Amino acid sequence: MITFWRILKSGCKNLFRNAWLSIAATAIMVITLVIVAFFSFSALFLQNQLQAIRNKIDLTIFIKDEATAEQTQQLSSSIKALDKVQGVTYVSKLDALERLRTSSKDGEKLAKTAIDIGNPLPASLEVKTTSLEKLSDLDAEIRKVPQANLIASSSLEDSDVRKKVVERIVQISKAVSQVGTIISVAFLVVSLLIIFNTIRMAIFTRREEIDIMKLVGATKWFIRGPFLVEGAVYGIIGAIIAIAITFPLINFAKPLFVSYFNAAEVLTFVSDRASLVVLSMFGLGIAIGVSSSYLAISRHLKL
Amino acid sequence: MYPNKTVALSGVSLHIQPKEFVTVVGASGAGKSTLIRLLIKEEDPTSGKIIVGSIDYDTITKANIPHLRRRIGVVFQDFKLLPNLTVYENVAFALEVSGVRTSEIKRAVPKILQLVGLAEKASNYPGEISGGEKQRVAIARALVRNPKILIADEPTGNLDPKNSWDIIELLLKINKFGTTVLLTTHNKEIVNTLKRRVITVARGRIVKDEKVGRYIL
Repeated sequence: MITFWRILKSGCKNLFRNAWLSIAATAIMVITLVIVAFFSFSALFLQNQLQAIRNKIDLTIFIKDEATAEQTQQLSSSIKALDKVQGVTYVSKLDALERLRTSSKDGEKLAKTAIDIGNPLPASLEVKTTSLEKLSDLDAEIRKVPQANLIASSSLEDSDVRKKVVERIVQISKAVSQVGTIISVAFLVVSLLIIFNTIRMAIFTRREEIDIMKLVGATKWFIRGPFLVEGAVYGIIGAIIAIAITFPLINFAKPLFVSYFNAAEVLTFVSDRASLVVLSMFGLGIAIGVSSSYLAISRHLKL
Repeated sequence: MYPNKTVALSGVSLHIQPKEFVTVVGASGAGKSTLIRLLIKEEDPTSGKIIVGSIDYDTITKANIPHLRRRIGVVFQDFKLLPNLTVYENVAFALEVSGVRTSEIKRAVPKILQLVGLAEKASNYPGEISGGEKQRVAIARALVRNPKILIADEPTGNLDPKNSWDIIELLLKINKFGTTVLLTTHNKEIVNTLKRRVITVARGRIVKDEKVGRYIL
């Protein structure tokens, strides 16, 4: 135990002997962690959005105004009975109005106008399917159910647009994860090398001390320990700074995301994973620091 | 044996009694240092056996080398003190490395500094003290763990005659307390005055081993 404290103390002392090198090592650690965090975060988020979009309603059936509640109920259950249908949600005219009100900045104004002209928004049934592939087939089937005369129109055209959006996001998320992986790995290697060399310099300036330690009977771990601690400290400091940079960065980038995605989703996505981000940054930082320092010292430590 | 087939030592067979004071003499390159390197297992013999105390060096694993070195005190010609540590810290360092408790260190170090006569220089740095004093620090560091054997590799090599004698007298005192001392030296005067066992090494062989030896090459 006392040995552990001595190792820890000596490792922290090392940091200040070569202040500039320590700063360089910490800086590259910060850059690496921020880049890795940014890309893995973006990839995760896009994946998450993809899932969310896929889960959205696939086909909307608009119902004629004259349909009674009972008739609508029958239509709904007929559609539900179809093969590829996962679920059906009923949206009344009032619901539709409410949605319009909250949908955008001008929603309030639009809703007011809608009320003034007697709410022209139709009630609808939102149909979720098991696959997005053959929506036109499903549409045709729905139009054959007994209560089909109640259907005013459907959102088939709209679905095609959404399919394209999904494809686009798949493309982007693939590109992001590919580019992200390459850049992340490159920076990981660079930071590994820089810390490796920092520790090597530290070993070089202290080789006399290391020789003396060997002669007075220090164990390998006693000699190695301080350097490993030094590497770990680079990781810890790097992670702290990287976290301090990443979170404001995400906040800053939020409006950018918000214009494409739902604001609430972005917010919950970030806050849900905050502790994961913090933990993995520390983990990765310490792993990089310790492993490169272990590599550096192993080559110099022959008793 | 070294890479380019230089044989540093060959056919060396010697036995040192516990509590003995042995001087090894020989010209530079004769093999004195190799003998010491073998004893602290910085090097392994290509053939032959080394036994110190009851420890057979062949049975020592790599992980145990540090523990072996903790039981043998070594003093070098160039002192090998850490310049950025005080006299006290240099001696304490040897104990810290072995995982000795701080309270124990605080007790042992002043005692040993007293023994080598450096109590009042405890807070000085190696750069601020004389060569003879530096060598005393090195001896204190070697002794602080109570080794059974003290190896002094040309401890007087960098010292003037007066300081050299002080060091030799200190070694004799230590030997009197019951520590086996193995001294290597170039100093003819010292060897001739000591009147102790002298082993003469030349070209990697023991050429003479006398109970009361003189320095003859």
